Amino acid sequence: MMTRRTAVGAGLAFTAAVCTAGFGAYDPTARRRGEVLAIDALLIDESIAMPRRMLTFIEANKRVLPIVGIGLDAAAQAGLRRLFGQSHAIAGLSSGATLFCLERIAWDHGFRLTERSGQCARDPSDHTCRRELAAFLGGAYLSAASPSPVARAYRPSRADGMLHAWVMQKSGPQFRRSRQEA
Amino acid sequence: MKLPPNVSEADFTSALKEFASIVGDQWLFTSDEDLELYRDSYSPLWGEPDERTASAAVAPDNADEVVALVKVANRYRIPIYPISTGKNLGYGGAAPAISGSVVFDLKRMDRIVEIDERNAYVVVEPGVSYFDLYDYIQEKGLKLWIDCPSPGWGSLMGNALDGGVGVTLASYRSHFDAQCGIEVVLPNGRMMRTGMGAMPGAKTWQQFKPGFGPRIDGLFKQSNYGVVTKMGFWLMPSPENYATGVVTVPKFHDIIPLVDIIGRLEQSKIVQGLWSLSSPTTGTPAFAAHSGTSSMPTDPKILAILNSPDGVDMNKLDVAANEAGIPFWAANFNFYGPKKFIEAQWDCIRDALGEIPGAQFKLNEIRRLPLPTAELAKMRDLGPLGIPTLRTFDLGPMISYEGEDVVGHIFFSPVIPRTGEAAIEAMDAFAAIVRKYKLPCPPLQFPTAIFERAFLFAVGLPVTRSSVVNAKVREILRELVAMAAARGWGEYRTAPAFYELIMDTYSYNDHALRDCLNAIKDAIDPNGIMSPGRYAIWPRDLRDAKG
Repeated sequence: MMTRRTAVGAGLAFTAAVCTAGFGAYDPTARRRGEVLAIDALLIDESIAMPRRMLTFIEANKRVLPIVGIGLDAAAQAGLRRLFGQSHAIAGLSSGATLFCLERIAWDHGFRLTERSGQCARDPSDHTCRRELAAFLGGAYLSAASPSPVARAYRPSRADGMLHAWVMQKSGPQFRRSRQEA
Repeated sequence: MKLPPNVSEADFTSALKEFASIVGDQWLFTSDEDLELYRDSYSPLWGEPDERTASAAVAPDNADEVVALVKVANRYRIPIYPISTGKNLGYGGAAPAISGSVVFDLKRMDRIVEIDERNAYVVVEPGVSYFDLYDYIQEKGLKLWIDCPSPGWGSLMGNALDGGVGVTLASYRSHFDAQCGIEVVLPNGRMMRTGMGAMPGAKTWQQFKPGFGPRIDGLFKQSNYGVVTKMGFWLMPSPENYATGVVTVPKFHDIIPLVDIIGRLEQSKIVQGLWSLSSPTTGTPAFAAHSGTSSMPTDPKILAILNSPDGVDMNKLDVAANEAGIPFWAANFNFYGPKKFIEAQWDCIRDALGEIPGAQFKLNEIRRLPLPTAELAKMRDLGPLGIPTLRTFDLGPMISYEGEDVVGHIFFSPVIPRTGEAAIEAMDAFAAIVRKYKLPCPPLQFPTAIFERAFLFAVGLPVTRSSVVNAKVREILRELVAMAAARGWGEYRTAPAFYELIMDTYSYNDHALRDCLNAIKDAIDPNGIMSPGRYAIWPRDLRDAKG
């Protein structure tokens, strides 16, 4: 049976492959921009328990999409830096607290939060969350015309410990590509 | 277009054009969308007219560009506000001290200029984060450790300049004290190096702090007098082993001899790792002020006393804890170094604290470093092991205050005497305020020994997105500051909304310190461009305008 740990472990293994050899079989140039939102990777929060059927859904997507386990530690930072450098759009499933941190790290790499579902936090059933995430991955939600980035930005709340599904796209300046040599 | 104070639209437009010619159009930010990222998401003035917001931001790539930008700013008298990575949450974030300032965003300058394993130092640019340096040291296999604060995404330089602290050995914990050598661009655009760095080709810039003549490094703390572009830091050699040890003492008032004896051990450099107070009786863990979590005790008598609506009667609690056989205090120690050195330190602690009747001792296993990765993954706080994380954010605040989501915090950060008496007084005074305003934090919070000779009693107050609730919180902070000042306790650091409030408490001899700092400001920065208003140091024209 697929467990959360094995799903995340698989994600990390994929991250390692991405980090050492680029996206390999996954060709970012093949993204069909203008038609649907092509997601380069699905980020899964390691710090939060994932509903069982969500794990099945994530496992199913592993065939077509890099699954990346994310945490708030030093090891994850190095991987994230490389991932941000090589991606244009990412989707994720994380706690609000992780999203708050990740969003601020992503800003430095030119990413902005373009979609965020509060459905998962409000109704943490497998079904709701899965449907939202599937919609993001399928490109059903192209960058919506929110009035300002603040309207989309994650704000800490009582729902910090709950699941949030989200999409970030690269659209701003990339302050941090790879660390500069002196 | 938002304008800086006392700057015409024509001058501002010309200055922005010159900024862009130096850094490239893509590194000058003036759109609302880009400037949103320079708001302080923990601002207690969010959305109010007094919220500090930038008019523009500019991101240079190197020190030469900083020199050119400062010269332009000085010519047009544009107030600038340097930030390193801008993640100083709780103390202002990336937002300037006064609205209309141009943020100098230095995070592109992320070069590790020099690292010397033999002499254990590093020279970094402002954009180098604790994560970056840790990663670099691991990648190169250097036998060096960093001392990092609890979110590790900040800049070494930014944290040091703002008075930040870490959690390993005493001599590395105060990050500004651990610096050795500064390169700074003065307000007229002239670059200067402090200490031995003032000598061209100096070989000891990062080895000898005093240099020749007056030591002026401290003037550049908080960026009132220049843009710091490089800074050297002393690093800690990787220790061979790590261990924790716990000493418990039975009675509430045992905190007095406990703090005194540990203080003597620290002054003698026998205790060098950070130690922290916790209470098995109240369930308050070490660093409760930061973690906000506690494990409630299960003894019914103790619970009843802790939950009393009139506050906790420590005498009753003391008796109940004694009857239940639960020690009141625990001192938690961290040890680093050779096994025999750790054992010798522990022997000294046992000998000294053994004078307190009923003291119990437990030295945990001395572990060879580095610890296995799988084990590190399960630990909540890796700071004492020199590893940066963001785990402090783990589950966010997840609390409300006055019916509003808490979105962040501002710190009340008084420095109190390193005595058990002062600790008791601070705990009582703060608990009374928590009860009075029903604040969403544990009423019993303990001071931390993070500074070498004084206690820090840092408490996070809730910030919401409601201006009404935030106004109330600002008033609570004012009350806390007044309460602390009346006892002779001053804040070491604060959020921009309270710069004036705190500076006003440092009023010895009719504000002689503030007046001296302002006089230096007028001499070094006559056009008042450098971080005006930061920590309430103002250029002459804005002082006059404020009356």
